[in-house]
Amino acid sequence: MATQKYKRLTRERSSGGIGIVTVSRSSLWLGEDHLLLADSIGYSENYKRFFFRDIQAITIRKTKTRLVWNIVLGALLALSALIIWSAVDNWRDIGTTIAVSVVLAIFGIPLLLNNLFGPTCTCEIRTAVQTESLPSLNRVPKTKKVMNRIRPLIIAAQGRLTGEEVAARLRETVLEPAAAMAPSPTGETSGDIPPLIS
Amino acid sequence: MSTLIQCPKCRATLLESSFNLPDLAPCPSCATPLQVEIFPAFFRKIATGQKAEVVMVEGESSCFYHPQKKAIRPCDGCGRFLCALCDCELAGQHYCPTCLDVGKSKGKIKNLDNHRTRYDSIALALVTFPLLFFFTFVIPAITAIIALYVAIRYWKAPQSIVRQHRIRTIVAIIIAVAELAGITIFFIATATSR
Repeated sequence: MATQKYKRLTRERSSGGIGIVTVSRSSLWLGEDHLLLADSIGYSENYKRFFFRDIQAITIRKTKTRLVWNIVLGALLALSALIIWSAVDNWRDIGTTIAVSVVLAIFGIPLLLNNLFGPTCTCEIRTAVQTESLPSLNRVPKTKKVMNRIRPLIIAAQGRLTGEEVAARLRETVLEPAAAMAPSPTGETSGDIPPLIS
Repeated sequence: MSTLIQCPKCRATLLESSFNLPDLAPCPSCATPLQVEIFPAFFRKIATGQKAEVVMVEGESSCFYHPQKKAIRPCDGCGRFLCALCDCELAGQHYCPTCLDVGKSKGKIKNLDNHRTRYDSIALALVTFPLLFFFTFVIPAITAIIALYVAIRYWKAPQSIVRQHRIRTIVAIIIAVAELAGITIFFIATATSR
């Protein structure tokens, strides 16, 4: 079997909310004609392939996770600073320096990184048969970087659609048939659809 | 599967003006910033399966699995003639159901290969975690032997699809050998000093 080389798009990220605790970790890889979602569960890996010709839509939704972490880490940092400030007499003491360094390392650096990485988001990829979440794309700048990398490949496989073309094709293929199937305001329905019972 | 795109948060159907915008834009319903990119595959109709035709002419090639049905193409895996019902297309190749099944179970069709056991990580875990119990000597010695067995036994087993290297296995072997050597030297030194 010929092996295929994959290029890493994202590093492993936890599929759950808290990265250190959860076992399942997810990463995204770029193949010749598809994206590969690798889910590592302990000592095994499961893969899902999304061929460029089959990808229907990609959705990015901004979340408030960064704000929540900022509040949590900021509060813990402020609380620790308050405790140190109230307990310390000599700021040049070696013990004080160690305490401040530990607090900064535990709360300050994650707080800084949380803001440096940019806003948090969730990303979903949709094909004809599934809508799959991509947990490793959890920051907007990183997701946009990955999108800029895979968009030309999807366009090469399928072609390009502008916003206006999408709107026009949606009207003719999805929204108009859906409107035609909807019950009329008078309560009459077309012959193929059972009447609504209120 | 719904043909409409919904907001991932409020599940409201998105308006056509919400798609393929250059940046995040608020959902018309819940105001969550969203970016939805739609590609032409969204409007592609799902191909319906063909019906297998009955053999009408004497001597006409028929399906291997359905002798009364007309063959339309050979299987790319085994060469058997297939009717429209048995023809399964995968990434431009045509397979019979048996070849698909065998290809998936034996990993012969790379696009169906969707699971790998990471023996390198198992071997590495076997030599690193027991170091917490180094003072017992017995546990690290046993797990080092097991790690060596796993590393050598599964040296040629399929690796992770995305990480095509044996660094973890090599590191596991080195640590296992070092642990066993260390324990042996410790016991020899203890025995000679008495």
